[in-house]
Amino acid sequence: MRDGTGKGSVVFTDVVKRYGDVTALKKLSLSIAPGELVTLLGPSGCGKTTMLRLIAGLEAATEGRIFIGGEDVTHLSATYRRVSMVFQSYALFPHMSVAENVAYGLTVSGMSRAEAHAKAEDGLKMVGLAGFGARLPSELSGGQQQRVAVARAIVLEPEVLLLDEPLSNLDAKLRRRVREEIRQIQQDLGLTTVYVTHDQEEAMAVSDRIIVMRNAEIAQAGSPHDLYQRPNSAFIADFIGDANLVNCEVLEVGVQTCRVRVAGQEITLPVGFAAQGPARLVLRPHDLSLTTEPGPARFPASISYATYLGSQIQYTIHGKLGNLFVIAPPVHTPFRAGDTVHVALSPEKAMLVADEPIDT
Amino acid sequence: MKRIVFQWIATGLAGFCLIPWYMTDSGFWRFRWLGDLTLSENAPALLQVLLHGRFWLAGALIALVAAAIVQIAVKSPVRAARFTAAIAAAGLAWTMLQGLIIVRSGPRLFHDLLANTPAETGQIGFGAGAAVTLLGLLFVLTTAISGMGRGRGDAFVTGMIGLIVSLVGIFVFYPVVHILISAFQTRTGLFDLALFISRFFDPEIWGIGCLIGQGGCGPAINSLILAIATGAGTTLLGLAFALIFTRTQFIAKPLLRVLSVIPIITPPFVIGLALILLFGRTGAATELFSDIFGIEKSRWLYSFWGIYIAQMLSFTPIAFLVLIGVVEGVSPSMEEASQTLNANRWQTFVRVTLPLMRPGLAAAFLLGFIESLADFGNPLVLGGNFNVLSTEIYFSIVGAVANPARAATLAIVLLALTLGAFLAQRRWVGTKSYATVTGKADSGVHVGLSAGVKWVCYLAALPWAAFTAIVYSMIIFGSFVKLWGYDHSFTLEHYIRAFGTKIRDGVLKFSGVAWDSYFTTLKIASIAAPLTALVGLTTAYLLVRQNFRGKSAFEFSTMLSFAIPGTVIGVSYVLAFNFPPIELTGTAIILIVVFVFRNMPVGVRGGIAAMSQLDRSLDEASITLGANTFTTVRRVIAPLLGPAMVAALTYSFVRAITSVSAVIFLYTAKHNMATTFIVGRVENGDYGLAIAYSAVLIVTMLAVILATQLMLGRRRLRRETRIEATGTTGARV
Amino acid sequence: MMKQHFLAAAVLASALTAAQQTTAEELSIVCSNEQDWCDLMTSAFTDKTGIGVSMVRKSTGETLAQVRAEAGNPKIDVWWGGTGDPHLIAAAEGLTQPSTVDTSELLGWAQRMADISEGRTIGIHLGVLGVAYNEDVLKEKGIAPPACWKDLADPQYKGEIQVANPNSSGTAYTQLATLVQVFGEDEAFKLLREIGKNVNQYTKSGSAPSKAAARGETGISIGFMHDMVKLAKKGFPLKIVSPCEGTGYEVGGVSIINGTRNFDAAKKFVEFALSAEAQSLGPQVGVYNVPSNKNATLPPEAPDPSTIKLIDYDFATYGSSETRERLLKRWDEEVKGTDN
Repeated sequence: MRDGTGKGSVVFTDVVKRYGDVTALKKLSLSIAPGELVTLLGPSGCGKTTMLRLIAGLEAATEGRIFIGGEDVTHLSATYRRVSMVFQSYALFPHMSVAENVAYGLTVSGMSRAEAHAKAEDGLKMVGLAGFGARLPSELSGGQQQRVAVARAIVLEPEVLLLDEPLSNLDAKLRRRVREEIRQIQQDLGLTTVYVTHDQEEAMAVSDRIIVMRNAEIAQAGSPHDLYQRPNSAFIADFIGDANLVNCEVLEVGVQTCRVRVAGQEITLPVGFAAQGPARLVLRPHDLSLTTEPGPARFPASISYATYLGSQIQYTIHGKLGNLFVIAPPVHTPFRAGDTVHVALSPEKAMLVADEPIDT
Repeated sequence: MKRIVFQWIATGLAGFCLIPWYMTDSGFWRFRWLGDLTLSENAPALLQVLLHGRFWLAGALIALVAAAIVQIAVKSPVRAARFTAAIAAAGLAWTMLQGLIIVRSGPRLFHDLLANTPAETGQIGFGAGAAVTLLGLLFVLTTAISGMGRGRGDAFVTGMIGLIVSLVGIFVFYPVVHILISAFQTRTGLFDLALFISRFFDPEIWGIGCLIGQGGCGPAINSLILAIATGAGTTLLGLAFALIFTRTQFIAKPLLRVLSVIPIITPPFVIGLALILLFGRTGAATELFSDIFGIEKSRWLYSFWGIYIAQMLSFTPIAFLVLIGVVEGVSPSMEEASQTLNANRWQTFVRVTLPLMRPGLAAAFLLGFIESLADFGNPLVLGGNFNVLSTEIYFSIVGAVANPARAATLAIVLLALTLGAFLAQRRWVGTKSYATVTGKADSGVHVGLSAGVKWVCYLAALPWAAFTAIVYSMIIFGSFVKLWGYDHSFTLEHYIRAFGTKIRDGVLKFSGVAWDSYFTTLKIASIAAPLTALVGLTTAYLLVRQNFRGKSAFEFSTMLSFAIPGTVIGVSYVLAFNFPPIELTGTAIILIVVFVFRNMPVGVRGGIAAMSQLDRSLDEASITLGANTFTTVRRVIAPLLGPAMVAALTYSFVRAITSVSAVIFLYTAKHNMATTFIVGRVENGDYGLAIAYSAVLIVTMLAVILATQLMLGRRRLRRETRIEATGTTGARV
Repeated sequence: MMKQHFLAAAVLASALTAAQQTTAEELSIVCSNEQDWCDLMTSAFTDKTGIGVSMVRKSTGETLAQVRAEAGNPKIDVWWGGTGDPHLIAAAEGLTQPSTVDTSELLGWAQRMADISEGRTIGIHLGVLGVAYNEDVLKEKGIAPPACWKDLADPQYKGEIQVANPNSSGTAYTQLATLVQVFGEDEAFKLLREIGKNVNQYTKSGSAPSKAAARGETGISIGFMHDMVKLAKKGFPLKIVSPCEGTGYEVGGVSIINGTRNFDAAKKFVEFALSAEAQSLGPQVGVYNVPSNKNATLPPEAPDPSTIKLIDYDFATYGSSETRERLLKRWDEEVKGTDN
């Protein structure tokens, strides 16, 4: 981990959060470096929002300590933490104009009205809303409101910016644009940012690092590339990107290779694995190809659906490996539903994970 | 944290060293005490200790100084907080106890210990110095508690909880215990639980004869039936008014608004009298029906129905005030969502709008229910032989045979009914989220009412409005005639007697008999109303937004003073506050206090209903933007509570002017109240003057209400309040 | 921050002390008579003696409850007016103290009241119990007016009689005690049961029945004659009957509260209230009861004692708590509920 004490760093040591009998966070430790954009990703109820609220000071930790910028803030109330948050619902004050909303944090911390409004205008300019200051939030579109919320948070020049599912209320096109803008602003300002989402694509797109949470603890943390390429569990494999999970049996474990049996065939994979016995093969849809010819590491199947999407063709197939999802480049004569094919998997791209349930 | 503790220590020390500890005879604000600060009566506590040997007062000083030392000396913040809290708590306890032990006549306990000390000459009640010192100690305690990590470390939150709990403790529990205790006492003053149980379950109280067709019911059952009927009726009518007001394009809205609000600004007895003159055996309407339809003149009004009609007239506006904020607050987008899901207006109304208003409906019902239980004027005038708890309690106290044990028992029965309603309400509202004002602004348009609902509303509300108009025309009429109900020749005599003015020596003199009480009443009501709203809404904020131990009990205790009949409160206030340490009888403070704590539940209920519509993320956003809780409340929550605040302010102002039963024992010649004046005239048969006075009060209150609404106004959530045009062209998807 | 805290402290402190005023050197009087009478006496007393008075009107029941609650540290100095029973109860409970005022100018019944209470309360006026009927209502219904207590049992008055509940009203208790003294207890309760069949409502307040009769809400009321006179004087068609068997009366009292801090001024007020000068003022403001001072001028409208058959009302017996509770219990059991 990088610097855990500089301005803008966030450190959790053995933090536990319980609500009565319910444990929302199990003894969690982590460290976020200054200037880093970290995404907390996971299904709902996994504890990611609780973590965000602990950083903000909106919840108090049951056990453990929290440090921001090297300072112990475990008992510091939210008011005094140099942390800003953008809420899922934006939480714009409906009775204040856009400019008043953005200037709010500045005025409550004692800045003069004129100065605060000047800074607010700068903030609005930064998010591309210069000149919208006099409007009421209700007179803006969803995307504009979202940007006001971001402007309101960043004009305070916080040490840490928190974003709670900031894009969930936007349409798909807008989402991409706004997330790029957020990333741009974050990098321009070098702001430590913690970003909660349940959308893995969003997480992949914006993050320096992703922390995937599951059942009140961290399932895996790493760069987007790491998580995609080296999932440590079937859950991660399934959650980060699309994956076909196929049951197999590990027969022999080597240093850099192992032999597995899948659907009656034995294949050698260029990956290490811990133990012999049942496991799961992770096959990305892009890494599968369809041919008409049988051969080694090829499995017969029939096409259930074929969807033409211009840039690619998506197939759902059914066969010896179960139901698989395959993405193929467009060709002149694609397969059609009902065609019999052979699925070819490339052993160098397949990954192995432990055989465990993923439904959380 | 440390800084705040020091500020409060400084406040406490200022109270101890600079301000007269005891209640000064000439009053605090005239500052006559500044002249002779060393007098035994005027001296601050410090001088009391040094000059007058009242060493026992030093406890507060020791606590404050010790707290300061701990703050400076102890390094670990959590440990310092813990020590400080303990010291401040001890200081508070000591100061309260010395006040309870050493009274006017000398010590009540520890005679030997205090022999030959100045304690033997006794001491008088707490004054400004004691109040400021205690306040300082209290906030040192609460700030220290927040330093221990409670209340998310927020000193404002713990401070408010501490303050409200203390105030409710002193001004609700402490007096009420004084009287309720007699329900458990035998004639000789011994405690006997079995006796209480037999008193409580006395079949005379709980008789259900009227339900099984054998004679009458006991007062408990009568009250219960009446309260349920009134609660349900006022809620439905209030809802109809609120819907017409917010969801239709009804033309005469301002008129409707006035008509729907007038009844709560009517002094007691007036509605009852007007009803008698309309529907009594020789009433105008009765005569009319008798002449036209040959309906026999009867005394049907003097029964359940008379009280019910009067209560519906009196309390529908309360439901309306609570519900209008709630109806306005339902987010249009949720209704629009429903419509896009192919629900028609009726389905949208029943399945989306109504359920979203649940907390409001529950609050309105609970208020109507409790108001009906505690109502005293209407049953007295119209009750006939229909006995209810409130009048039974009143006559147990002031009747020919005073029976405080019976009064206390009946008061406990009444409380039990209130508690039941309160719990039922909580169950019904449940823990669902009703937030509709989220931080995500919506620009939608409220869905108009379906034709059916609209006409039901019109049919319910408009005749009622017309009826109200007739009743009030009767009242205005009554103030201009010689002898209401008999000699209807025009006269201004009543107004001149009450509000005449003369110019003597070039100076305007208020020579009318009513001026005195009129000015006193306005003064006291305008001091009490903002305090009531403040205390009520603060309590609502704590209840909705903060979590702390004992919250439910706290919530119920805030309802207590409202649920107990005014007469009981009045007597209990005399019992508790006529003697040191807190000696308030004969002052205007006791009137203000009784209004604040009697009416605060309205602010609490309204505030809870309104606040549960505000999404929590709004507060959180403000907090994370660096605002403290106080600023958040002031700049974000309070503005968004506009209607609830108007309702709380208006209502507490009005109640301070119109309530009578609680003040009967508390008002004095110097602080005479308008209602007691009016009631005196009514008892005297001087209806003309009473009604003329009432009419003037009604106009005054109306003016105040309109001014408040103009000033505090509506929430500016959407640029305009648009209501979807009703009718076929307005269909929107 | 600093500013906010001091502001908060200042607001709270001022709220707590804003209206703090304690009693000044004034005589505090509770008046249980009619408002105008209270006002007139206040100004007359201040004019005569120069002593400031703060007077407030409260009903006797309310006053008694307040005096009880304040016992030990009273805020009231004098209690003037209202029916005598609560005054006697207060005297018996030691809530009032002897006023040591000379009573030689007073009529016998007023002196007797002072004797019973050991000087703690003294009679100021006499109120005679009577029956009133609304002329118009009875004419319309074609029924003859009653002349005696026994007439009230006549079924022709069914639903026309209104009287207060003796549990809550001193007036009604006086009536109950009167009938017991006129007819003997058993006979009286038999009569009350029969009258009860004609009663349309037992009101809480003693003066309510006559007001209802004045406006025709009921045909006949039982109450004190001075209330009825006043209503008739206002112009209501109310006729007053003095029952032929004889009738009882109440004696209004004046008492000094035990523990008063202004005894001398209080005594002056009691002397004034008993003087012929003060008692002759009553008719100016429509007070038509019989004054207790021999030399006071009797208002012409007052019920003339010589035309009324007054019984020798036994205040000592019927004013005692024991008798009262026994009679009321019996009333609850035998009379209440026969009306419906």
